[in-house]
Amino acid sequence: MKKKILVIDDDLNIRDYLVSLFNDNGYEAYIAGDVKEGIKEANKIKPDLITLDIEMPGEWGPRFYRQLSQDPKLKNIPVIVISGLSGHQYAVVKAVASLTKPFDREELLKIVKETLN
Amino acid sequence: MAKKIYFIDSDEKHAGALKTYIERQQYDVTCASTFDAARLLLDKNLPDIILVDPFISDEMISCLESVKRENPSVQIIILTQKDKLDAAMDIFGSKVIHYIAMPINSKTLDLALIAASKNISRNRKIDRYSERISELHGTQDLLNQLFEKVPCYISVQDRNFRITAANRKFRQHFGNQVGGHCFDIYKHRDSKCHDCPVAETFQDGESHSTEEIVTSKFGKQYNVLTRTAPIRNEKGEITQVMEMSTNITQIRQLQDHLVSLGLMLGSMSHGVKGMLTALDGGVYQLETGLAKKDDDRVLKASDQIKTMADKIKNMVLEILYYAKSRELQYEKMTVETLADNIVSTVKPKAEKHAVKFDVSIPKDLGEVDVDPKWMEASLVNFLENAVDACVSDREKKDHQITFYVSKNAKNQICFAITDNGIGMDTETKNKMFTLFFTSKGSQGTGLGLFIAHRVIKYHGGTVEVESEQGKGSQFCICIPFQKPDTTQSPEFPIANH
Repeated sequence: MKKKILVIDDDLNIRDYLVSLFNDNGYEAYIAGDVKEGIKEANKIKPDLITLDIEMPGEWGPRFYRQLSQDPKLKNIPVIVISGLSGHQYAVVKAVASLTKPFDREELLKIVKETLN
Repeated sequence: MAKKIYFIDSDEKHAGALKTYIERQQYDVTCASTFDAARLLLDKNLPDIILVDPFISDEMISCLESVKRENPSVQIIILTQKDKLDAAMDIFGSKVIHYIAMPINSKTLDLALIAASKNISRNRKIDRYSERISELHGTQDLLNQLFEKVPCYISVQDRNFRITAANRKFRQHFGNQVGGHCFDIYKHRDSKCHDCPVAETFQDGESHSTEEIVTSKFGKQYNVLTRTAPIRNEKGEITQVMEMSTNITQIRQLQDHLVSLGLMLGSMSHGVKGMLTALDGGVYQLETGLAKKDDDRVLKASDQIKTMADKIKNMVLEILYYAKSRELQYEKMTVETLADNIVSTVKPKAEKHAVKFDVSIPKDLGEVDVDPKWMEASLVNFLENAVDACVSDREKKDHQITFYVSKNAKNQICFAITDNGIGMDTETKNKMFTLFFTSKGSQGTGLGLFIAHRVIKYHGGTVEVESEQGKGSQFCICIPFQKPDTTQSPEFPIANH
């Protein structure tokens, strides 16, 4: 069965990009455009991995991360932070990895692969 | 140096004897026994004292008068026969220092020479004083010029902070305020400033400096760098303090601009990162679409790359608009042309996102003075924001924006832009024209509306906003038909904020 990845990003173009990238590489990608939708989707699909943009309009990624950690059903889902901010690794210390936009495609796939195996 | 005496007497024997007598008293004596010989001497060089019998020739009298007229410091002692003394006195009066009757009494001659020497010394002293006084006048003029013309504000203040003197630049910008209080003139205050450098200088005699913001008589605010120096009397007591203030407003404005450019770079870099990622995504979709022969993906990718290229182009333009100092280039154009240009720019974006675009442009609104480039860019920005507000709204099914142009009661041209998009909360509404504020996350630079608002302001116009979260927004942008009076409007370039 294909592993599920939930992509949370406010930028439609980046969401499309990540969905294609993950689908093309044998994963099943789902999307959410904001934190509220992210929590809803995570509960619904129970993803194996989440990629999270930590700066979205009206939202702050670390808050989402806290909400996720407090939910016993979701708290063990690994999160990869993908952000345009530098120094963001300090914002979500428990993330399995932090990538800065524009990220290296191969590096992201390698981290995803390692995390999911 | 020995004083020089010309002794003019026709009796050579008598002259010779007298010369020997006078030389003993350390004078340098030269004799002449005829008028011609005397004339030759006087033409060549003038002595300190002339000892002369004026009646040796008719021409001698006028010669002596001319010497005295041209060189008043030459001392003349008349030696003549007793019966001619009165005549000599009638001729020369007080121009001659002494009249001696012949045969000469040596004591009388000694006293006459002493009096002449004293006169010479006194004259020399007077000459020296005059020279010094004229030097002093020169220095005073120079100092006065320096004080008056130095390109900073100089005031001299007493212990009560009352201005006792002020230079020209000070008077130009703060009025002729001698007698007024410094704190009132500079800061429109009722009492002394708590960190007054003048007070500190009165206290410790040292120079102090501060940076202040002062207000000119025209109500303009200046950043000034102020330094003080004590002025002491002959006893060394500080009686007054001089305050020199340099206007550094331009430097501070430049610094502010640099700081905001720095902020902009920070804000930009975040946006640029998002755009580059999306561009990278487009390239990926294009490559994989071609490899998979998936036309839909290729089409979508090419669209995405185009959108990103446009976004990057717009961002660069915004940076250029912000960074470039440029005067508004006013042109007359019909309101219809201006509005049509704007509509044709925004229409494709609205259509792409299936947002209905309702336009009303009456044909008889006449001409307006605008900088077409800035004004079009500004109004397009407002309209594109309206489209973005619709695209971001996921609650409503159908979206529409309207663009109505009309003339208002104040005889201004008004552009009313409405949308039924996401609307704004109070915070967003309050901050929407603030530099680098964006509600669009990585999609915005925080420059667009800031610049758009400034452009309207510099055209002498106004922007009114009404918005309700979840329902939509309404912008009413009004500008005068005629170019505003530049003396009343804020200064361009746009960077001076």
